[in-house]
Amino acid sequence: MNLAAESPSSSCSSGSTDDFAAFLENEIEAQIEEEEIEEEHIEEEDDDEIEIEIAEHSNKRRKVMDDESTDEESPLNTVDLANGQISNGGNVVCAHPIIIRNLCSHCGEFVEEAGSSVAFNYIHKDLRLGASEIEKLRKEDLKHLLKDKKLILVLDLDHTLINSSRMIDIIPDEQYLIKQVEEGKETDDPNQTLFQLGRYHMLTKLRPFVRTFLKEAKNMFEMYIYTMGERAYAMEIAKLLDPGDVYFSSKVICQSDCTTRNQKGLDVVLGADNLVIILDDTEHVWHKHKENLILMERYHYFASSVRQFSSGIKSLSEMKKDERESDGILATILSVLKRAHEMFFDPKIGIDLSSRDVRQILKLIRQDILEGCNIVFSRVFPSDVQANEQPIWKLAEQLGATCLGDVDDSVTHVVAVVPNTQKAEWARDNNKFLVTPRWIEAANYLWQRQKEEDFAVPKKVDK
Amino acid sequence: MFFHIVLERKIQLHPRYFGPHLRDKLVAKLMKEVEGTCSGRHGFVVAITGVEDIGKGLIREGTGFVTFPVKYQCVVFRPFKGEILEAVVTMVNKMGFFAEAGPVQIFVSNHLIPDDMEYQAGDMPNYTTSDGSVKIQKDCEVRLKIMGTRVDATEIFCIGTIKDDFLGVISDPSAAS
Repeated sequence: MNLAAESPSSSCSSGSTDDFAAFLENEIEAQIEEEEIEEEHIEEEDDDEIEIEIAEHSNKRRKVMDDESTDEESPLNTVDLANGQISNGGNVVCAHPIIIRNLCSHCGEFVEEAGSSVAFNYIHKDLRLGASEIEKLRKEDLKHLLKDKKLILVLDLDHTLINSSRMIDIIPDEQYLIKQVEEGKETDDPNQTLFQLGRYHMLTKLRPFVRTFLKEAKNMFEMYIYTMGERAYAMEIAKLLDPGDVYFSSKVICQSDCTTRNQKGLDVVLGADNLVIILDDTEHVWHKHKENLILMERYHYFASSVRQFSSGIKSLSEMKKDERESDGILATILSVLKRAHEMFFDPKIGIDLSSRDVRQILKLIRQDILEGCNIVFSRVFPSDVQANEQPIWKLAEQLGATCLGDVDDSVTHVVAVVPNTQKAEWARDNNKFLVTPRWIEAANYLWQRQKEEDFAVPKKVDK
Repeated sequence: MFFHIVLERKIQLHPRYFGPHLRDKLVAKLMKEVEGTCSGRHGFVVAITGVEDIGKGLIREGTGFVTFPVKYQCVVFRPFKGEILEAVVTMVNKMGFFAEAGPVQIFVSNHLIPDDMEYQAGDMPNYTTSDGSVKIQKDCEVRLKIMGTRVDATEIFCIGTIKDDFLGVISDPSAAS
C-alpha cells in the first residue's frame, strides 16, 4: 500500500479525506479478503470456485494499483508483495532466507511450511531458515569460532551430564535421598547436586565434576545441549546446570527440533561439522555423525535408571556412593577434550585452520590408545560370522590395535570370555595377556589403556 | 495506525447483577472482555471511549444468562504493510532483531538491515556500523517500515525493514541526554 503514490493530496484539503477513508476501507477489505482466502486455502474448504473468483477480483484490484505505482517504488518494493512474483525489472524471486511465523522476513510474504527450510524452534518459536541462509550462518560461525580459538561441543543430558528418576520410581533404599533434597531446599548450597524438578515430580542428580567441567569447557568450546527429552524438561535442566544463562542461552535443542525421528542430527546446529565434538551415551541416535561422537559411559545414579538397562547391578544411590570427582568420567573426558583442542589449534601444523577437521584429530587420539597391541578374539563372537565386521573388532581397530584371526608370535592379547578355550590356554602357556572384552570397552570409555590385571578372565573354579 | 471505530459485541450477564447498576456492570464487563484483545479484522482494541447503545437483553434458554448487544466506540491499533512505525528493540540476535510497538511485535531480519551494520555478539548483542557511530541494541528506539503482517487469533506479528531512507535508530538508551 503506497499512500504517497496513491493519494498525493492526502495531506491538504478536507475534501480528499473522504476519499482517503473510502480508499482505506477498500484497502482493508481487500487485505482481509486476501488473508482470509489464504487461511481458507490452508483449511482446504470445498468452495473452490467462489474463492477463485474472489481471489481474481482482489488480484485485479491489486494489479491495477501496482501498475500505477511500480515506477515510483524503490528497488526493494519491486517484489510484488501480493503475488510474490517478479515484477518488471527482472528482479530475483525472493528465496525466503528467514521465515518467522510463516512470514518471509525479506519480502513480507506468507510462506507455506514446505520447501528447503529447516525449523529452528530452539532459537525462536516458529523460526525457519532457508538452506542458503544456514550455509551463510555456518560460514560466519566458522570464522568467529576460529578467530576466538573455539570448537563446538554438543552435550547430551540424560546419563551423560545428569541422571533423572521419577518420584514414583524411587525404591525404599533411596528414600534417604528425598530427605536430603528437602534439607537441601532449606539451605542454599552452591555445590548441591541433587535437585527436585517440582513440576515433574522428578529427582535429578548432577554428575560429579559437571560444574567444573562446564566452566573449563567454556574456554575452549561453544556449547549446545541436545537431548531427546521435551523442551520444558530440557530448559529446567539447563537452568540447573547454567543458572547464569552463560553456557547455553538459546542453544538448547530438544526432541521436537530433530528433523529425523529418533535420530539426532547436526543440521539444526548452526556450526560447521568439522568443528563439532559430541558427548553422548547413546551411539545409535548419531547415525550420521559417528565420527564426531565421543561415547560416554552411562551415569546410573538412581535404581530405576539401572533397571532400564540391565538388572542385577546396584545403582550408585543404593550403594550410597558416587563417581569420584578427581578421576571420574567427566574429568577424563575433559582432559581428552583439552588435548583435542590443543592439537586442533596447534600452530605447528601446516594446514590452514579452516580446512582442519576435529574428526581426524579424534581418530588420531583414539589410535594412540591401544597402539602396538595385537589382539586375537576367542569365542567372543561365533566363528561363522564375518570376523572383521564385528563391532568389537572394529572398536579395537579404531583404538589403534591390530586384530588378527589366529594366534602367532606377534599376538600380545587374547580376548576371551571363558578361560578354557584353545586360544586362552595358548595365551597362558605363552605368557600373553588374557583379558575380557570389557578391557577394550574400558579403553574406549576411559581413553587410556587399562591395566590388564583388572580385566583378567576369571579362572573357572573346579567342582 | 490507530482508528476510532464503532464495534458491536454481545455481552452475557449473570442475573446476580440485575439491579440499579445493571448498565455499569455491563460496561465494566465489556471493558474487561474487550480491552487488550485483538481481532484479525480490526487489530488491537486499545481502549473503549464510550458506549453508544445497549440493545434489549435476551434471556438464554436453559442458563438464565442474559445477552445484551452493545455498540461501543473504541480506539483500535492495526499495523499495515508499508506503514512507518517507531518501535523499541527488545531482543537482538544474529538473524536480526525483534522490536515492539505497543502490543505488536516486529521482526527485522539481518537482510533488511543496512549492509554497513555488523552483528556483534557478546553480553549485549548489537548491530553496529563500521565506524561505531550507530548502534542498535536492546531498548533502543528505531523507526521501521512494515513489510508484511500476520494476524493470529490473539496477536499480530509483523516483518519490518530499516533499509530505506530515514529509517533506523532514533535514540540510543546509552546516549547521555
